[in-house]
Amino acid sequence: MDLEVDENDLKAAGAELFTDGVRRGIRINGWLIESRRHSILNSSTIQEWEQKLDTSHLPEMVFGENTLILKHLTSGTKIHFNAFDALRGWKKEALPPVEVPAAAKWKFRSKPSEQVILDYDYTFTTPYVGSGSVEIDKDLNGGEISKETRDILWEDCKDQIDVIALASKEPILFYDEVVLYEDELADNGVSLLTVKVRVMPSSWFLLLRFWLRVDGVLIRLRETRMHCVFGGSTNPVILRESCWRESTFQALSAKGHPFDSAAYGDPSIISQKLPIIMHTTQKLVISS
Amino acid sequence: MDSVPSNSHGNLDEQIAQLMQCKPLSEQEVRVLCDKAKEILMEESNVQPVKSPVTICGDIHGQFHDLAELFRIGGKCPDTNYLFMGDYVDRGYYSVETVTLLVALKVRYRQRITILRGNHESRQITQVYGFYDECLRKYGSANVWKIFTDLFDYFPLTALVESEIFCLHGGLSPSIETLDNIRNFDRVQEVPHEGPMCDLLWSDPDDRCGWGISPRGAGYTFGQDISEQFNHTNNLKLIARAHQLVMEGYNWGHDQKVVTIFSAPNYCYRCGNMASILEVDDCKGHTFIQFEPAPRRGEPDVTRRTPDYFL
Repeated sequence: MDLEVDENDLKAAGAELFTDGVRRGIRINGWLIESRRHSILNSSTIQEWEQKLDTSHLPEMVFGENTLILKHLTSGTKIHFNAFDALRGWKKEALPPVEVPAAAKWKFRSKPSEQVILDYDYTFTTPYVGSGSVEIDKDLNGGEISKETRDILWEDCKDQIDVIALASKEPILFYDEVVLYEDELADNGVSLLTVKVRVMPSSWFLLLRFWLRVDGVLIRLRETRMHCVFGGSTNPVILRESCWRESTFQALSAKGHPFDSAAYGDPSIISQKLPIIMHTTQKLVISS
Repeated sequence: MDSVPSNSHGNLDEQIAQLMQCKPLSEQEVRVLCDKAKEILMEESNVQPVKSPVTICGDIHGQFHDLAELFRIGGKCPDTNYLFMGDYVDRGYYSVETVTLLVALKVRYRQRITILRGNHESRQITQVYGFYDECLRKYGSANVWKIFTDLFDYFPLTALVESEIFCLHGGLSPSIETLDNIRNFDRVQEVPHEGPMCDLLWSDPDDRCGWGISPRGAGYTFGQDISEQFNHTNNLKLIARAHQLVMEGYNWGHDQKVVTIFSAPNYCYRCGNMASILEVDDCKGHTFIQFEPAPRRGEPDVTRRTPDYFL
């Protein structure tokens, strides 16, 4: 762990930290929460991914083995985050490309016969909200164990994440932030998918964030938050809120905000300036 | 071999020694240095001829300690001749020290080191990606940023090693068929948003043939057919370029007609990539040397995340 965690806080929460090479995590209240951080993909793995995803373009930095995993041990419920699933989401959504103002002029210089229009979504915008499954070990005859995996079922709900409880300065027992992929858009902005988590004595909370800034054109923020309050004997419930915000630079400057890209470095600060275009809340009840 | 009067070398040598310790020069010293550099650079061609042996390097991006490591591994300048293909500033924490050192070496050993322009050597890009802010932080004003970005306009755009390796930051342009096309344009200006000068600093090779046009506008992509035609027309063996991050530090493309070289290991202090440099020897043989990040001294470790009560 990087942060100084008070041993007494850990003990009081019945929690245990662990590190093992690139794995770091915590065991707490029947949960195993761990993160793994590696390098970007090498050239040969990039080629494999390009084949699997049927694309010839991937983000410049794909942290393909980075992950955050939250596993509820008795039920086998596993929530996890990885770049591959996120990029599958990007391929599937396949948004039309965002055109920068300068791009319009580009089409006229090369011979039409030699032109290829790269019309993929170079922003790598993804609707990804995380991956999940339930893994159950089934005891077959003679002590053989077979793993059965099924999908998890999120249901729409009206509950909301308790932001007030989250704002209280409970000790943080485990914290990490993992980058899944990043692209500098050839110095035209940034596309960044990260997930961060904090674990307190009473709950865990995470934020998956897709942050896009196409300089002079568009800002897009797609955030998914999950919160799980440790609840003693009752079945754990995970609340999941997804909020998509988006605005053009033009619309921002019309509202009196700066047009200059340097003013939009930190998504946390500018988030409130961006109008919400989609908001959903769902929950997952974990039955043991 | 240098036109700088010998009594001023002492001063310059001291400055280089100071910079090698990652200590920036004063604003006044930067001003004097850049005035001298400007006189030298304005004499250079848009396609600056370079002799072998020479070591060709890619992006540095303000990673000063890794540049120092590069010199440890590749040999000190002037013992080794160097050709840098741009992107000295932005992203890393030591853009000021990095670019000042390279410019000081250029002034001291003009025949021994060639510094090309990358797309980050521009007023517009440096205001967004770090160099401008770093100058403000280290000098309390934008004066040093202004001095350097004015100097960047004079950096040559491309170099030609022994008439056979064409070196540049980005890549080819549909508006450029021959090296003479490049020799003929006026480079002393801010990198334009569009046009051949922009392409040289922004384009990327691609698996697809022809000229790829991206809606994001930054340069074209060029296919193997384009590289082959260009090399054939200009009697070239190889195009060496930088501009793109590659995990291994270098990456062949287009049936070895093009190579990408990236010299910032663990880019942005967290990608975990190798860096590399390309040594071209007397007999024009090629050797890639890969290297890892230098041991860090006093740099913030960005992989250490400070816990915060994010909501």
